[in-house]
Amino acid sequence: MATASSSLDRDPETSRSRRSLRFLLGGLSRSWMFLAFFVGFFIVWEISIDLFGIPKYILPKPSEIAVKSWADADRLLYYTWITGLEAVLGYIIAILLAVPLGLAIAFSRVMRQTVYPFFVSLEMTPKIAFAPLFISWLGFGLLPKIIIVILVCFFPIVLNAILAFTSLAEELERFVRSTGAGPTRAFFKVRLPAALPQCFVGFKYAAINATVGATIAEFIGSDEGLGFYIQIVTGNMRPDLAFAGIFLLTLLGLALFGIVSVVERLAIPWHISVRRKT
Amino acid sequence: MSASIDIDGLTKVFGSGPEAVHAFGPSSLHIGKGEFVSLLGPSGCGKSTLMLIIAGLLEPTSGEVRVDEKTVTGPLTDIGIMFQDNTLVPWRTVWGNVALQLELRGENPSRHRQRIESLLASVKLDGFADRHPYELSGGMQQRAAFCQAMVHDPDTLLFDEPLGKLDAMTRESIRTDLQTLWLSKRPTVVFVTHSIEEAVQLSSKVCLITPRPGRIDRVIDIDLPYPRDLDVKSGADFVGHVREIQAIFHGYGVL
Ligand SMILES: Nc1ncnc2c1ncn2[C@@H]1O[C@H](COP(=O)(O)OP(=O)(O)O)[C@@H](O)[C@H]1O
Ligand SMILES: [Mg+2]
Repeated sequence: MATASSSLDRDPETSRSRRSLRFLLGGLSRSWMFLAFFVGFFIVWEISIDLFGIPKYILPKPSEIAVKSWADADRLLYYTWITGLEAVLGYIIAILLAVPLGLAIAFSRVMRQTVYPFFVSLEMTPKIAFAPLFISWLGFGLLPKIIIVILVCFFPIVLNAILAFTSLAEELERFVRSTGAGPTRAFFKVRLPAALPQCFVGFKYAAINATVGATIAEFIGSDEGLGFYIQIVTGNMRPDLAFAGIFLLTLLGLALFGIVSVVERLAIPWHISVRRKT
Repeated sequence: MSASIDIDGLTKVFGSGPEAVHAFGPSSLHIGKGEFVSLLGPSGCGKSTLMLIIAGLLEPTSGEVRVDEKTVTGPLTDIGIMFQDNTLVPWRTVWGNVALQLELRGENPSRHRQRIESLLASVKLDGFADRHPYELSGGMQQRAAFCQAMVHDPDTLLFDEPLGKLDAMTRESIRTDLQTLWLSKRPTVVFVTHSIEEAVQLSSKVCLITPRPGRIDRVIDIDLPYPRDLDVKSGADFVGHVREIQAIFHGYGVL
């Protein structure tokens, strides 16, 4: 019987990594379905341009976009690297700042009564509105873009971290207290793992914001990056190249979100949101 | 040594003002060392509340609980508790969940390997040690929670409807196991249930709790011989106790 044999190899690590592998493969097979849909979408686009006689300075064909952007590939790739760098650095710094702050607010009454209401009211401010100010303060370099990315990633991470660390099930809270465990032990054995699923909600939300923040920051004041590129080529009546930039931004966003999703699968394979996907 | 428990003028009111819920009391009760006492009453009468106050996990509004003559002021850490909702965590296996109790107490579970194994075997979970809780039926989860509550070898046990999610057959067999355990080790047991039969079969004393606000209205000594197996349960004395209690709850307007 399977259950009898599995009890013999009682090594949680092997069964865990085997399970993670299965999740990853499951993810791949699902992305083939996506791919089929996208290919269909581009075929319809390609045919429609001729069918309805749309001029190419309004909306170019995908094939034309591909050919024209190939000619400008060097610049596009370099700008992808720049925008990606801004997004990823800002995102990572946002996590490093926001998670400890979320923890502090969750576990400190004083913080909850002072800093927390302040952040909640700031949540209503569109963070991107600060972008022109940062550009004027810090100039055209990477730094103001990274700060803007931090700004748009920070809030979803903080707010979800606070929620995560304050919503341990009541019975678990009581169970922990009944063991007499100290705060550190209780944190690492119960509070932290229990909080991870809600933390990842924030991480994923922020991953979406990261590329948006980087792009808009480049719109406002920049001399490189995909946001800068899209603005310039659109001004030059080159929608084909603008689409190439948009396509690369999409890939960038997908890659960042995909990496975070993979990390989530590895970190919380036991969670219902992860298990339900396979 | 198993503990004695004294409940003295205990009241619990949740909230205040017009929203306040009078959940329990005032009531007093003495539970001697090694007794098996059931708290029996309809749902919402404050059984869980009383149990949590005894465990030191909830503060009474007035009155006090004394365990071995000492007033309870914080969580009791040397007892075994089975909560109404099980406290298995989804990121650990059955084995890991049982070990969690030891780890939270700063002990190394691999030193207690044999104890964990025999506990799991005693509730027929030995083939499921490396399954996660979500791979188990409700009844199996409850059996795992039982092992989690017992692994540090407590001699005072607070059980909140531990057999609630079990099917009738498993329930019967775990009752027998529980009785065997109690007879051999004589822990003090506070056992919350809403099954009259279960209370009469297991307990040396049954406390009848009135509907809201819950009060311990009657304490009935069950002086039937142990072990109370199927023969005892079909005997006239057993049936008499069940009938008597049914009649009292009927009087409360519950049955
Ligand atoms: N934390 C709480 N806040 C407010 N009311 C509560 C709380 N816990 C329990 N109650 C109320 O106290 C009463 C008794 O609850 P409980 O002890 O869970 O009953 P039982 O376990 O007998 O079903 C119920 O009316 C319930 O709604
Ligand atoms: Mg209850």
